[in-house]
Amino acid sequence: MLTCDSYLSPATLEEAFEAMAANAGRYRLVAGATDILPWAREGRAGDVHIPVLIDVAGIPELNRREVENGKVRLGAATPFQRFIDNKALMAALPVMPFVAVWFADDQIRESATIGGNLVNASPAADGTPPLLAHDAEVLLAARRNGTIHHRKLALSKFVEGPGRTALGEDEILLEVQCAALPKHGVAFEKVGQRRSLVISTVCVAALVELDDTNRKLADVRLAVAGIGPVPRRMDKIEAALKGQMPSARLLEDAAAIAGDLVASRTRQEYRREVVRGFVLRALVNAARRAGANDQLITPELEARYA
Amino acid sequence: MPELKFEATVNGRKVAKSVKPFSRLLDFLRDDLNLTGTKEGCGAGECGTCSVFVNGTLVKSCLVPAAKARGTTIETVEGLARSGELSVLQKSFHKTGASQCGYCIPGMVMAATAAIRANPLVSNDEIKERLGGNICRCTGYSKIFEAVELARDVMNGARPATALLEDEVDEGQFIGANVRRLDAPSKVSGKLKYAGDMLMPDMLHVAVLRSPHAHARIVSIDTSAAESFPGVEGIVTSADVPGVDGFGVFVQDQPIMARGKVRYVGEAVAAVAADDELTAKRAAALIKIVYEPLPGLFDADEALKPGAPVIHDYAPNNVTKHIPIRKGDVEKAFSECDLIVENDYETQQVEHAYLEPEAGLAYVDHDGVVTVISPSQNITHHRHMLARILAKPINKVRFIMSPVGGGFGGKEDMIYQGMLALLAMKTGKPVRLVFTREESIASTAKRHPARIHYRSGFLKDGRLRAVSLRMVSDGGAYGLSTEGVMRKAAILGAGPYDIPNLQVDTIGVYTNNTPSGAFRSFGALQTQFATETQMDIAAEQLKLDPFEIRRINIMRNGAVTHTKQKLGSVSIARVLDALEAVSAWEKGAPAPQRGETRGDLGSEGARRACALDARFGERAEAKLKTEVA
Repeated sequence: MLTCDSYLSPATLEEAFEAMAANAGRYRLVAGATDILPWAREGRAGDVHIPVLIDVAGIPELNRREVENGKVRLGAATPFQRFIDNKALMAALPVMPFVAVWFADDQIRESATIGGNLVNASPAADGTPPLLAHDAEVLLAARRNGTIHHRKLALSKFVEGPGRTALGEDEILLEVQCAALPKHGVAFEKVGQRRSLVISTVCVAALVELDDTNRKLADVRLAVAGIGPVPRRMDKIEAALKGQMPSARLLEDAAAIAGDLVASRTRQEYRREVVRGFVLRALVNAARRAGANDQLITPELEARYA
Repeated sequence: MPELKFEATVNGRKVAKSVKPFSRLLDFLRDDLNLTGTKEGCGAGECGTCSVFVNGTLVKSCLVPAAKARGTTIETVEGLARSGELSVLQKSFHKTGASQCGYCIPGMVMAATAAIRANPLVSNDEIKERLGGNICRCTGYSKIFEAVELARDVMNGARPATALLEDEVDEGQFIGANVRRLDAPSKVSGKLKYAGDMLMPDMLHVAVLRSPHAHARIVSIDTSAAESFPGVEGIVTSADVPGVDGFGVFVQDQPIMARGKVRYVGEAVAAVAADDELTAKRAAALIKIVYEPLPGLFDADEALKPGAPVIHDYAPNNVTKHIPIRKGDVEKAFSECDLIVENDYETQQVEHAYLEPEAGLAYVDHDGVVTVISPSQNITHHRHMLARILAKPINKVRFIMSPVGGGFGGKEDMIYQGMLALLAMKTGKPVRLVFTREESIASTAKRHPARIHYRSGFLKDGRLRAVSLRMVSDGGAYGLSTEGVMRKAAILGAGPYDIPNLQVDTIGVYTNNTPSGAFRSFGALQTQFATETQMDIAAEQLKLDPFEIRRINIMRNGAVTHTKQKLGSVSIARVLDALEAVSAWEKGAPAPQRGETRGDLGSEGARRACALDARFGERAEAKLKTEVA
């Protein structure tokens, strides 16, 4: 059971930093709270007392959702459900609806935030691979000597290990920023133990853009979670595919690389098999959704892998 | 601790209260407003029994800090039928029989309401997706989906409002008719009170201290620090039991709380009654118990080996019950068979996972009658056992059965009612205990895991001439229903087949695992799994159709079972015919290499694989693209 002595809900960033300074060393930030509440139960952290909970979900700076000039600014307190019902976000981050629809359930998605997902830094976080594929950056803020300082960091540098990030003790994650990729075909593959309310065993996000002639894979972005301590891009596979015309041989060779990336502590053999299959399926599905014709993704490829 | 000022609009009324800063919205609704239609099934966002609307958005109230809901408009299940008339959805749940135990139903009704509000023309697939966060253990969901589809159609005028009324049946003709359940309105409206929803004046809350050891001697129990903790009104241990301490369905080997030693992780050792749950919990943590760990026994086969640790003194061989059955001459029959199929099978422990965690309320009434209200599946037996344990005449012990929010056999055992009775007697006040989901999983009975060695002897033509079956089953630390489960496994284990020569041994043993107990099918499932697999393997080897090999061997009208019961009518032949028809079975011997050429896969009525594409994915994509454009 989670207990606290006070629960603060700052309305502004200023108030949040105020509260953090006044309670240094005895607070925790919460946003959706959908992870911390189940965590503080028997079998996991057990009974947990945190003197001060500071709820940052209502701060305007964490609730921006802008798509302008091909750039996305995504407030950290954005609930996952917005990826399913906010049309501008869906167009700019076309993979996110596929991520969100497999994430928890409709009800939890209304509370659970993208920022919370990144900060918790689970090795199996669903939100991280798609944003890695977008080359996302995170915008962090801290108040030092009365002034608010911002810094930007690549998401790939932000997540450091299981449950570990580069977020400083006095920092708040404000935003995720990335390029909009409205023309990319997308796919998100996930396996867990059931359909709803399930944490990924392995998940793969794929974004593919075709060249103008519909003959080659102009851009390929692949990221994976659940096969090691942190979610990661699969850059070797991307390099092997970029500028190529997909054939069964090419895809198989590329997917074969995926298995070697598995560094999990458990079920390695299973994960190797799954990630290989996911890469194949995600590539074919993403290329199809990018508008690949039958010459590029032959019906045979589709039948075999999709 | 500074309280949090909480103002909101709940079901149309303004409320202003002070709540603890760490209260969840669920706690606020249930404890501060007594809106108990919102249930707590898991406390971890997994089950959906606590779904409510906050500013029109459906959320799981166990995952929402109350502080977040300040200033909002909240709607609970009680708000859906405020006028006194059930909503269309509630009526359709009533009509289709969607509520069984009813514990998931308020949340399910809320999720269904959200689905139709979000999309009045919600497709059948989208209904399934949108209800994905709500779990039901009774219905298999079909009737729930049927109810949502019916409500959608009535609200859209696709079906008349009269479709919500009870179907007319001819006078007295109820078999095959769709009859509405009498108790459904109370369930779909959230009005029905389960034990954990009940309140009494001066009621205390109970927390249980449980064993961290699988097998250990209790050297000492020191409750002094807990006794002096402010707010504590009483603590009980096995020392407080006045009568003969022991319960169990067949053998009364389990004390109300651990006596002398603990036999499994999660066994109750002491119970505390205090002003509120948190105080009771904190006080329980102050009880000091010194344990001397003993060698543990965690495997059923190990339990039977000479020199194995002994769990109960009365059973030095660790056997809870051995049921042997002998018929004909098995060895002679095997020697005359053309095919002998011999295999080992293993089944696992299974949790019932009823949506209602165990809960109970006990008090001593004005006449000194010790009264326990709980979702007990066996109250008369509990009453007799408790009278003996409390050393009271039977007329001074009363059991009241509260609505059972799912049992499936898991609430047959008097696991916690005794502690409540003792605390009610000791404190002189009503006491209530509500298990957490974790506590329920850790401490209550499971389906018996089993290892089965199975030999079946067949003639070339498929006739089954002999079966030898030995099942060793892990009964865990206490007897509970193990004896009955072993009996049932022995009686039904060889299946509905006429077998001239038979040898069955079912053996339930003690270990230091969580006790096994009653669970739907009660022992038959474990052996059936092995029996039917044996039949399929034999069909493959004898090149017979799996239906045919069964038809050759099934019992017919007038058959005598191997426990000498004469059967008047036997329906297995009809069952096989019906099954063959609905499964679109392609005749022939099992042959894995048929693979994708099978015509019966993906046929009409076959379910497609799990998908989440009612709103996204190929089928929904065209629609999505137009909408986004």
